[in-house]
Amino acid sequence: MNSPDHPPPTGQSRTHILYWTLQLSGWGVYTLLRLYAAVAVLNLPWMRAAVELLLVDGAGLAFSHGLRNFARHHGWSALPLRGLTWRIVAAGLLLGTPLGIIIQLTDLSGLQGPLPGDYAPALVLPIQYLLNILNSAILLMIWLTIYFIVLAMRRHRSAELRQSELARALQLAELRLLKTQLNPHFLFNALNTVRSLIADDPSRAQSAVTRLANTLRYTLSSGQDELVTLAQELEIVADYLELESMRFEERLRVEYDVAPGAGVVYIPVMLLQTVVENAIKHGIAELPSGGVLRISAALRDDVLVLEVQNPRPPPAMRAAREGIGLRNADERLRLLFGARAGLDLDMSQPAIATARIRIPQHR
Amino acid sequence: MKVIIIDDEPPARRELRRLLADFSWMEIVGEAGNVAQAAAMIEALSPELIFLDIQMPGGSGFDLLAGLDHLPQVIFTTAHDEHAVRAFEVNALDYLLKPIDPARLTAALARVKNANAVRTPQPEAVLEQLFVRDGPRCWFVPLREVRLLTSEGNYVRLSWGKTQPLLGRALATLEQRLDSNRFFRANRRQIINLDFIENVELGVNGRLHVQLREGPEVEISRRQARLFKTQMGI
Repeated sequence: MNSPDHPPPTGQSRTHILYWTLQLSGWGVYTLLRLYAAVAVLNLPWMRAAVELLLVDGAGLAFSHGLRNFARHHGWSALPLRGLTWRIVAAGLLLGTPLGIIIQLTDLSGLQGPLPGDYAPALVLPIQYLLNILNSAILLMIWLTIYFIVLAMRRHRSAELRQSELARALQLAELRLLKTQLNPHFLFNALNTVRSLIADDPSRAQSAVTRLANTLRYTLSSGQDELVTLAQELEIVADYLELESMRFEERLRVEYDVAPGAGVVYIPVMLLQTVVENAIKHGIAELPSGGVLRISAALRDDVLVLEVQNPRPPPAMRAAREGIGLRNADERLRLLFGARAGLDLDMSQPAIATARIRIPQHR
Repeated sequence: MKVIIIDDEPPARRELRRLLADFSWMEIVGEAGNVAQAAAMIEALSPELIFLDIQMPGGSGFDLLAGLDHLPQVIFTTAHDEHAVRAFEVNALDYLLKPIDPARLTAALARVKNANAVRTPQPEAVLEQLFVRDGPRCWFVPLREVRLLTSEGNYVRLSWGKTQPLLGRALATLEQRLDSNRFFRANRRQIINLDFIENVELGVNGRLHVQLREGPEVEISRRQARLFKTQMGI
């Protein structure tokens, strides 16, 4: 339905369509009901009744439309409840009078039916007028009430929509900020490691400085782009893990299992890096004898599945504080790739934690 | 001075070793990579000073200290730990940030040297001070300033100045290491510091009521009251 030739309806024209739909259907149903009553109950000739009813209700529609424009022009919708209420009553009475008179005058075929109760003949006509006027007044008042109720509901809906849009924009801003935050613990530990290498193994120290520079540069510039290829991110993850290996020595062993076609897939920048940092911080670093960090990537049924697996300490030792970083990652994935994407933490195996990232390739 | 370096990262230990080579009076008697190793080493070698990394696998530096009977002097090290650093500053504990600045190391070691001179040598069995951590706050508590120790299940509540820190040990185990000239078991749940007694009153049934300076009134049980009188020469 939304194509270049058929632009989606704008807010204003949508309001227009809604209003006229409700108007015509509302008055239409009202007219049909009365027609039914006139023909079935009062046994009036339907053609004539139809014509008269259409005239009368057409007048009703015109009056209500006029009222609505008046209310719009004078900003009634901004009024407090009390102000609005007496205005509705006044408008109903004021316009109900001419409408009622019109109805009375067009009623040549006794549409109304007999008066309830007995009245002196001289009173019949004035009473009929009065009743018609009251009827019309109440009708218009009801009409106005419904109008303002519908208006209020629509306002509420659009306010809610704006609210959630703002919330979403804020979230994205926060996530962007989080992405570019340096990990000071990693930074200072790495510098300390480099310094110790300068005396022991100068060439290794040099390569460590290069890797550190790469990692930091990547982190700092990650605010710019939202997506990178898996291959690009893996380069940095490799540099980072090399540095961490120097810190932990034999406590950290790394294994990669990346399927050939997976490298070109686009993933959110710093996502894998954050998950790997987490795996080191809460896994390897917490274990006296360390373990194996395993990174794997494969395309399964048009979904990129990235896994980071690390050993973890038994739950009694540390409270699981893995919360925020991974929850943010999950949120980011859903925002970028839809509901089928996400990150979940699989702790079903006893001493192992597996973070699993799923990115569907086509929506 | 005997020193042990405790850090889970070998390069960090090597780096500190390299820095300490400039101080001839530092004798590095051991290195440990986790809390268990460190505790065993400290018990075995009785160092006078330890360099202690806060973040370690299987238990933090604080956990190590809380479990030690003999507390050496401690200089904490950390690459970056906002909470720990704040705790250190508030409690005037000594710490160094990694990579360690040689100038700061020199200053810290000078402080250690001075503190050592002031310390009175104690016989091995008696506890002089305890490392206590209560949430974000931590102290080295000199036991002679503790007026009351109260058992709370598997823990001990210390009454020290205006604070009531909780210690993760049972009263019974603690009791054996206390100076018996200073501390007296008043009843099943409480041990009092005799230096803090303001006055003593006779109670019913042979019990005694002791008022502690700045502290509560403690009841000495009938059985202990007899011992108390003997010990105090009444």
